[in-house]
Amino acid sequence: MTEPQGTVQLPPQLSTIAPEVDDMYYLIYWISVVFFVVITGAMLYFMYKYRRRPGRKAKAPGHATALEIAWTVAPLFLLVYLFHMGFQTYIHGSVAPDDAVDVRVRAMQWNWEFEHPGGVIDEMNLFKVPVNKPVRVIMSSSDVLHSLFIPAFRVKRDAVPGMYTSLWFEATELTDDRECEVDADCPEAHQCGRNGTCALPLFCTEYCGAPQNIQDSAGRNTNHSTMMADVRVITQEAYQEFLELGPPPPPECEGSDDMMECWGEQLYAVNGCVGCHSVDGSAGPAPTWQGLWGAQRAFDGGGSAVADENYIRESILQPQANIVEGYTAVNMPPYRLSDRQIDAIIAYMQTLSE
Amino acid sequence: MASDAHAHHGPAYLAHHFETPAQQFDAAKLGMWAFLAQEVLFFSGLFVAYGIFRNWYPEAFSIGSHLLDWQMGGINTVILLASSFTAAMAVRASQVGDRKQTTMLLGLTIVFAFGFMVVKYFEYTHKIHVGILPGQYWGCPSFDCGTAAPEAFAEEVAAAIDAAHLNAGPGMVPYHLRSFFGIYFVMTGLHGIHVLIGIGLIAWIMRRNQKGEFSADYNTPVDIVALYWHLVDLIWIYLFPLLYLID
Amino acid sequence: MTVEAGTAVPSGDAHEGGDNYLTHETGLKSWLFTLDHKRIGLMYLVSVLVMFFLGGVMALLVRTELLFNGETIMEADTYNKVFTLHGAIMVFLFIIPSVPAAMGNFFLPIMLGAKDVAFPRLNLASFWIYGFGTIFAIVAIVAGSVDTGWTFYTPYSARADSSVIWMTLAAFILGFSSILTGVNFIATVHKMRAPGIHWKRLPLFIWGIYATSVIQVLATPVLAITLLLLIMEKTLTIGIFDPALGGDPVLYQHFFWFYSHPAVYIMILPGMAVVNELIATFSQRKIFGYMFVAMSSVALALLGFLVWGHHMFTSGMSEYATMVFSALTFLVAIPSGVKVFNWVATLYEGSISFASPMLYGLSFIVLFTIGGLTGLFLGTLSTDIHLHDTYFVVAHFHYVMVGGTVFGFLGGLHYWWPKMTGKMYDEKLARVSWFLVFVGFNVTFFSQFIMGSQGMPRRYYDYLDQFQPLHMASSGGAYILGLGFIVMAYLFWKSLRSGEKAPPNPWASAGYEWMTTTPPHPHNFAETPVMKRGPYDYHLCTEEELWDGFPEDFEAKKAKA
Repeated sequence: MTEPQGTVQLPPQLSTIAPEVDDMYYLIYWISVVFFVVITGAMLYFMYKYRRRPGRKAKAPGHATALEIAWTVAPLFLLVYLFHMGFQTYIHGSVAPDDAVDVRVRAMQWNWEFEHPGGVIDEMNLFKVPVNKPVRVIMSSSDVLHSLFIPAFRVKRDAVPGMYTSLWFEATELTDDRECEVDADCPEAHQCGRNGTCALPLFCTEYCGAPQNIQDSAGRNTNHSTMMADVRVITQEAYQEFLELGPPPPPECEGSDDMMECWGEQLYAVNGCVGCHSVDGSAGPAPTWQGLWGAQRAFDGGGSAVADENYIRESILQPQANIVEGYTAVNMPPYRLSDRQIDAIIAYMQTLSE
Repeated sequence: MASDAHAHHGPAYLAHHFETPAQQFDAAKLGMWAFLAQEVLFFSGLFVAYGIFRNWYPEAFSIGSHLLDWQMGGINTVILLASSFTAAMAVRASQVGDRKQTTMLLGLTIVFAFGFMVVKYFEYTHKIHVGILPGQYWGCPSFDCGTAAPEAFAEEVAAAIDAAHLNAGPGMVPYHLRSFFGIYFVMTGLHGIHVLIGIGLIAWIMRRNQKGEFSADYNTPVDIVALYWHLVDLIWIYLFPLLYLID
Repeated sequence: MTVEAGTAVPSGDAHEGGDNYLTHETGLKSWLFTLDHKRIGLMYLVSVLVMFFLGGVMALLVRTELLFNGETIMEADTYNKVFTLHGAIMVFLFIIPSVPAAMGNFFLPIMLGAKDVAFPRLNLASFWIYGFGTIFAIVAIVAGSVDTGWTFYTPYSARADSSVIWMTLAAFILGFSSILTGVNFIATVHKMRAPGIHWKRLPLFIWGIYATSVIQVLATPVLAITLLLLIMEKTLTIGIFDPALGGDPVLYQHFFWFYSHPAVYIMILPGMAVVNELIATFSQRKIFGYMFVAMSSVALALLGFLVWGHHMFTSGMSEYATMVFSALTFLVAIPSGVKVFNWVATLYEGSISFASPMLYGLSFIVLFTIGGLTGLFLGTLSTDIHLHDTYFVVAHFHYVMVGGTVFGFLGGLHYWWPKMTGKMYDEKLARVSWFLVFVGFNVTFFSQFIMGSQGMPRRYYDYLDQFQPLHMASSGGAYILGLGFIVMAYLFWKSLRSGEKAPPNPWASAGYEWMTTTPPHPHNFAETPVMKRGPYDYHLCTEEELWDGFPEDFEAKKAKA
């Protein structure tokens, strides 16, 4: 596999729109070079030729209206052309093809969340993208302004609270996800991402602040400059499989004997279940998970059921369907988890009832 | 020294750096017009915000306008128009050199301006007391969100919704009434501050007039203060229909 | 009686021990409550230089932090405050008042042959309002400090801590200082011109300041109301900008840039205005295409009002709006180009001196050309999407604001220093400091173009390893730049202490401001001058008018011949 190379000025072209943008970039670049050389060249030449020396007297300029009008009007044609070209590519980049995959992106202070078709929410800050398939990103923000920027794709758009914004791209190359320890181990324009594999960087480019002493899992102070995600371009088959199975278990659980229990415990923590449901039997706003599995549940307004797989599943996906007696005051929102994730939570619950 | 030799320079009111009284007058007038242009742009930001929000949330703005007392606004409009008239008359009086009449007319202008502020005071205190306030303070009587809004609050809002003849059900109170009152308080508040500044300026001019500083030859300050006062009036002429009348 | 300047100059009582604005009155009060535009201009100059120093220190802190990845000298939240303060101080307290309020105040009336600005009391008030605003800014810095970026974007700013209120109040107050100065200058230019100075003889410095004043009067109030609404949002929660209260954050951006884009021209037009004077004087030639250059200032001022949306191409604005703003933005290139072409054409067949002010003038042309051309990348929609909010933008506007305005300001400072202080400075040191500033500046910011096009986002505390070498280079350039300024501070300090006495017209300029004594008479000209020629009519000047030594030496020289 040969990775497309970047240049001194621009990162590698890894999306279908990138070559278009870069052509424009280089067109302007060469126009600029010509203008710069002509202007400074003339200036330096005059500086030498007409330098002050004994006996040199300046001549008074006459009128040169034709020249003035010429250099006022001539650049206009060039500018109109540049505007036209730039606008065309912009429109191309604004209107997504009909067969695009819709991915919803939620930006929040210092994290990106990606929700794929079918409600599959991946790990935070990991953006899986199918290769050679248009992807439309529909963005929202839950707090302040953010902006999604993937340099290798040449796309950028603000995420604005209170409104949806969107962009689209089509990735052209699989990501070289070799193992790494530092960014330098990775190919050009890649970063050493999560789990020690290379990925394309996704930046937040709208300033979103920094808190004091809040650290991410790697022990780094989170702030605007750490609000990055990994973009991983995968095959269409792998992407399809991902959509069907949902997100894979976290690496710290993968391969261990009690993988499902470990994953369930991790989901319990990252989804914020811990806020209301205790696991040690202590009282809280919602029923404790200790001893919950297999127990008889009495519902508010009559009726009861045994806490089996179907009951747990319903309680996660439609929490308001049956409310346990004594807990009417709390409104738990529905959680969109994949089947495998729900299985993992059930596995974890089972360990709490042994 | 030659630098102080300009004592011979002209009438006492002519500042040392001007050549002629006409130049001094023209400069002052042009300066004031430039300043008024800046005032217009200052308020224009608010008018733009008003236009955009009104366009987005017409129901809220319709109900909002019915929550304002158009009669009080109308009285204030009449008062301000009258004050503009007396201010213009004061300029005229000072141009013909009638000092006594100038003082009297400037005094009348101040009385009208105070009248405007008194009416405004009653409007404001009522809104604050009932809890018709912007943003998070909506429904918080006297900015205290700990206490429940008085009955008057719900009654007034319901009446305004009725009066606005909207299709929405009676229970629907548009969220953006908060923004309407944000705009209302900022616009009228800033206008009110301009009225207070105007009162100060007119009082200052009146005092100088009493001291005999102005004459048929020199009355520039009266003229430009009156210009300012007309602008304050003009802004209200726009505020009144936009906020109180259109629904 | 009037002196007919253009035939017999310089005017004034005597050159030895004559009355001048510096010695006319003494004591602290005579400065703080002066109505003399020259003293007010000088007080502004000292104030903006102090602010420039503060902002410069912040810049060096930022560059030092970015030397290495991770924490170098400060934590992320401190870093965010430091770059915010760098921006806010440099924009509101230094660049905007730099040329107009300091040099404009000093030279605008002199170049018009007027005794003072139209409203001297208002002028003093502007200065005091500036001081008052500065106090608010300092309170904001001391009391917790602001970390929103100088743009105060909502909703972040609406939720940040209350020191934002102090900083926005500071900008609000400073805005009024700026507006009142603008009002004053407009009236002065229209009504206070000495006999013989008709619009076609107006020095181009004044054309530039005049265009700036128009923008100050028409754009600044919009910023004022925007910041006021932001303050109201924070205190009264009025629900205009904060989406949590039903407001719209993009509306804030529209309001903010409606001012802040014209403000870019408030910053650059005066820099261009100074450069006109430098190019003409040191080429001994009338500015080529005078009327085109004058009108291009006015055109820039007007176009500046129509292009604010180009700061928001990625903000979620509609495609139509984006298209219109991009098209209008390209139009700005025309008057900017006209200026550059005419300056270069002025050099043609001139008699070019490379005195230190001219070195800044010529650097301005080079650096502004780079700044302007890189603007094409940002005005073009497709490339802007990639470059927006990256270091490319940072480099672009520093080339315009520093390479343009600050170089113009420094050129003006060197050019008018002898007139303002009555002292010459060490030319050799001035060239050394120019060299350090020029090289340091280019190293600092050219590397940022490359980082930006490679995708380095702005306002980042950390960065990918690939950017390490360029960040090092950029920081290294910043230290060279800092060193250049230290040398400059030293040479001006030395000039004040032991500089040679300056003749009235050390650069042999035909400009009106050089016709008066040095330092100028308290009323600029002892008698109202009557101008017989334009300010760049070198071909109409007598030998005596272009004499760069002391007038008494001229007599001696003539006697000898």
